[in-house]
Amino acid sequence: MKILVSLKRIPDPEQKTRFKGNAIDFSGTNWVPNQFDEYAVETALRLTENASAGNARDGEVVVTTIGTADAGKVLSSALAMGADRAIHVDGADENLDADIVAQVMKKLVEAEKPDLVLMGKLAADSEGNQAGQLLAGYLNWPQATFAAGIEVVDGGKALLVHREVDSGVETKKVPLPAVVTVDLRIVAPQAVKNGKTAATHAYAEGPRYASLKGIMAAKKKPTAKKTFAELGVTPALRVKTVAVEAPPARKAGIKVGSVEELVAKLHNEAKVL
Amino acid sequence: MFDFSDEQKMAQQVLRQWCEKELAPKVPAMEKGELLPYDLMRALASTFGLAEMMKASFARLEARAAKGEAAGPKDDDEESGVLAKDPGLSAVVAIELSRQCPGFMLAFGASLGLAGGAVMARGTLAQKKRFALPVLTLEKIGAWGMTEPGAGSDAFGGMRTVARRENDGYVLSGTKSFITNAPFADVFVVYAKIVDKADEDPRHRPIHAFVLERGDKGLSTGKPFDKMGMHSSPTGEIFLDEVCVGRDRLLGEKEKEPSREGARDVFHGERTGMAPMCLGIVERCLEESVKYAKVRTAWGRPIGEYQLMQEKLARMYMHRENIRNLLFKQLWMQKQGQRQSMAEASACKLYCARATTEVALEAVQLMGGNGYMREYVVEMMARDAKLLQIGGGTDEIQILTIARQLLAS
Repeated sequence: MKILVSLKRIPDPEQKTRFKGNAIDFSGTNWVPNQFDEYAVETALRLTENASAGNARDGEVVVTTIGTADAGKVLSSALAMGADRAIHVDGADENLDADIVAQVMKKLVEAEKPDLVLMGKLAADSEGNQAGQLLAGYLNWPQATFAAGIEVVDGGKALLVHREVDSGVETKKVPLPAVVTVDLRIVAPQAVKNGKTAATHAYAEGPRYASLKGIMAAKKKPTAKKTFAELGVTPALRVKTVAVEAPPARKAGIKVGSVEELVAKLHNEAKVL
Repeated sequence: MFDFSDEQKMAQQVLRQWCEKELAPKVPAMEKGELLPYDLMRALASTFGLAEMMKASFARLEARAAKGEAAGPKDDDEESGVLAKDPGLSAVVAIELSRQCPGFMLAFGASLGLAGGAVMARGTLAQKKRFALPVLTLEKIGAWGMTEPGAGSDAFGGMRTVARRENDGYVLSGTKSFITNAPFADVFVVYAKIVDKADEDPRHRPIHAFVLERGDKGLSTGKPFDKMGMHSSPTGEIFLDEVCVGRDRLLGEKEKEPSREGARDVFHGERTGMAPMCLGIVERCLEESVKYAKVRTAWGRPIGEYQLMQEKLARMYMHRENIRNLLFKQLWMQKQGQRQSMAEASACKLYCARATTEVALEAVQLMGGNGYMREYVVEMMARDAKLLQIGGGTDEIQILTIARQLLAS
């Protein structure tokens, strides 16, 4: 199986956000891979290896990102984890929105012809949750979002995707090729079943750590560089930034003296009862 | 030259994640002696593919030996013994483990670096395969024994452990003390003086290294010592009571090899290996102190606004810079194939160990009552740091070594 995985770097969620004028101040930002994209890489690796036979590779994982040269580091991390090669599309965050990302991905899919596109369900900075859906629409491919479990079925021609929805877990059968976006629980020890790795195999929870050997090997793996022009995409932003401001500071709470007072305040002031 | 490479930084990042997620939660149990560090060392090796890498590297070494080629530049490809061939990467491992638990790093380093390293440096191919490989892959735990109850700073002269020539082998007897991993190790590298008669005065006899295994008749070990710090690293004695071994246990299998040199090589390694441990401790103490100084308030202001606290932070930072620079000089020299003189290595060790103890104690002081509590990591760091002024040659021995070189010329 050949899988294309998209990655985005985001500001470290643990870091305090600073503002400068009508924008976020990114100077001194510690960039980290979007966690859901890391889950997508882990999912792709699990789908293309036989963990019961020394993690023997069985397929190809191509990772891609759109960003500056520095943003390309997310690709190195994915290659160190075990992805086979990378495509780095030159671009800058301020010139991107979900629609442009989907258009770029469409061009990459047409060139690479993967069996599956795996993406994080959303990027934890902008929380757009649109790129995967838009891509499936542009490609006219089936899609399954918020995957919490994936099983390869029909001799590799389709996937059973378990999706967490409000009422429980919904299972969809998706013929390949398809676009699947992944949620947190896709990295549970037995969330991915590829039909080759023994069904009883339990992975360590979470995305794998890059091994030292993987890190040393990553620099020798090929990374192709592409530009919007080469891909034939004209970046026209459809999202306009009107204003950027910090959420209002939370007001201090109050202490109530009794249950009666609490109920009265909830009823009369907060008007929630 | 003054920074790690992109690969080393990436390794640092994943190691830090592992240490925070896997190592940190286990530290309290290890420090209390409820949990040994060895399973976690094995988990570390398997997570980062160390064992796999060591085996691949060893297979290459054997293949080359079979063809009669010497070890050489071919070792430098990315799959061979990365840690041994990339001192920067070994330093990154030592820094990251020490940031979280210096005792864990000590047990890890003594097994792989000292015991495994001694066999790899001086052993025959058969000895490397039999004794070093299982230690490097963490299947077995190694201990390296030089110090004796009556021979610490006077390690060579005062050594009483002897290997008496008998038939075609040796009979070893003596006691080694303060040996990291001794209570639980499987493989022991011990130093002894070769003598011909049991009653011979061994003072000026040449020193040789032997490899012993748990199970060798006459070899036993004591219970873990109760120490001031480094609680995650079990330390103890090795008792040798007429341990009969063949020549295949003499490291290198040749008596004429100048083993005093061999031991000094490892002393050298022990000394230079301290810098990254010190950097790990100092970095952690500085970070914790800065964090604390920003949030702890006194008289309505964060304590970081008071100059007495600023002086502590600035000195910690100064020491961090100096240790970092010393480490990078050392790594640069190793990469160029240059060797530090004994005085250089001693000066580095002396400075790093003293600075680290100062920084860790000052971190405790900055945090006051909280810093004295076990709940705050600097309390452990302060006790652990003190060992660095004693193990691997005391401060006083480092001073002696430096002075000796200065006055010799």
